[in-house]
Amino acid sequence: MSSYAIGLSTDMAIMSFLALAAYLLLLVGRISFGLQAFFGFGAYVAGIGSTMLNWPFPIAVVFAVVIGAIVSAAVAWPTMGLSGLRYAIASLAFAEMARIALSQWVWQVRIDERLIGPNGVDGFRDIRWVLTNDITDTQYLVICLGALACCVAVMWYFERRRIGTAMRAIGFDETLAQHMGLNTHHIRVMTATIAGAIAALGGALYAHRTTYIEPAVFEPMLGVHSVGYALIGGLGAPFAPLLGVILDLGLLNAFHDLAQWRMVIFGGLVAIFLRLKPRGLVDEKLFDSLRKGI
Amino acid sequence: MATWLINATQATIDGLIDGGIYAWIGLGLSLSFVTLRRLNLAYGATALFGIYGGLWLHQKWDLPLPVLVVVIVVITLVATAYVEVLCFSGRTNVSAQSGSRPAGEIQNAEIVAMAASFAIWMQLEQVAVNLLPRHLQAFPSIAATSEWAIGEIYIRYDRGLLAVVGLLCCWLTAKWLAHSRTGLRFRAATDHSLAARLSGLRVDRVQRHAFYLAGGLSAVAACSVLLLDGQVTPMFGMWMLFKGLVAAWLLGGHSLGSVMGGGLLLGLVESYAQWLMGAQAREFVLYALLFVLLVRQAPVTRKGLTA
Repeated sequence: MSSYAIGLSTDMAIMSFLALAAYLLLLVGRISFGLQAFFGFGAYVAGIGSTMLNWPFPIAVVFAVVIGAIVSAAVAWPTMGLSGLRYAIASLAFAEMARIALSQWVWQVRIDERLIGPNGVDGFRDIRWVLTNDITDTQYLVICLGALACCVAVMWYFERRRIGTAMRAIGFDETLAQHMGLNTHHIRVMTATIAGAIAALGGALYAHRTTYIEPAVFEPMLGVHSVGYALIGGLGAPFAPLLGVILDLGLLNAFHDLAQWRMVIFGGLVAIFLRLKPRGLVDEKLFDSLRKGI
Repeated sequence: MATWLINATQATIDGLIDGGIYAWIGLGLSLSFVTLRRLNLAYGATALFGIYGGLWLHQKWDLPLPVLVVVIVVITLVATAYVEVLCFSGRTNVSAQSGSRPAGEIQNAEIVAMAASFAIWMQLEQVAVNLLPRHLQAFPSIAATSEWAIGEIYIRYDRGLLAVVGLLCCWLTAKWLAHSRTGLRFRAATDHSLAARLSGLRVDRVQRHAFYLAGGLSAVAACSVLLLDGQVTPMFGMWMLFKGLVAAWLLGGHSLGSVMGGGLLLGLVESYAQWLMGAQAREFVLYALLFVLLVRQAPVTRKGLTA
């Protein structure tokens, strides 16, 4: 594989975490435009852990995931009771608050004669765990793909259980689900917590790939893309959102001449899919027929 | 007069002026949400598209100012029609059959339409930037070059006039919606769409007209703001959306009249936040306010407050 292909595959793997997080929330009938906030928290926390506190990489990543989950749960508890429209706007407002807060946050320590740490709008440089540990691009791609495979496998497992059915039931008709005895609020908060953790995991891997993060990266368009990936890929199975990522980053990036029209094509695709196939390329129906075929 | 009192008075005046402008910006968004239950997230992007399209033609043919404004309104209306067809048309009409369809499906249709409009935002913004790639674009300015000074307090009277016009426009629209037959049709199509349809009202057409009206109002409001600013960047679309959204929802978003109060309150809060905590706090407060207001409407929070 060329270094370009490895880099692109790593980017796709990392963005897939955001797509998976959006997918989970879509299953319970919620669209979040604020997943980029948890992605950002994951990136900052993991960067602080591995660079400033000198923790081993896995510990830093797990810490980021835990923080992502806690913050997501704290945000979801009061907002999940809102209607879908209001929840979407609340999630966007929270993400923008988080971005502005990160752009004001300065906490630097001196390591090897260099000041390292979050530095407001200038971002957080020198997250060098990959470089100092001689991790090659291929090795890092394997780490990202391994983490992604674990996430998809766990989601696959739970979706086949009662909790997965309950999540889909809430997404289809909340009132009916409540009458079936499901605590829709608790299940939605739990789903948002897991989604926040997955987004934070993606952020942690992103920070160590780019070695530099800044608050401007975690802008609303990142959240919109994550929702777009899940909506295009489909809500039939956990692997489906990855198709959305492949379509956007893989296919559209392959045609460099289209770079300035990427948003036009992607935005149009999302809108058309939402009109013609609101549950995406691989919806429940297609997935069931695929499964029966196999 | 004590310095803090001068600063507080200045912040109040600036806040009220900004608030009147925010109310005008939020009017179109509020109209489509209150009367149609449609949350058009491409609201700012359609106006931005109209402005960039108009400026592109202006740079080519040096259009006179009134013609430029008309062209901007027309292009915005075309973009609004595109958003309507691709995102909302036939989708929110589900509510017309609300008696026979589950509540979840109706709500999902509204959310999906909103998400589609967000996707169209990306499209329109990118096309606008491709049309005029430079970040900062000059817009014909009619701003006054001086200010009124009352002692140590300064008032930008051109912006003040714009705020008054904006508030007046909101008030007249609310009155028109409450008392005219067209307003009644708009409300009937939203509140009791099945009954409206059975009464012979073409609900689809009424909703479409209200949506275009909202788009036209947004273009006029955007032009008015830019005529005083004298410049525009691609961020203007997002600015319009967020300011409009907060102004429209600050006092609950249940009526068109509330957008006036919402806009003024937003202007005051931002102005005081800037005075007391700096420019970054101004932006933070905007989102914090929106978040807190939304959270207060959640059943969980309401239960907690009651307890």
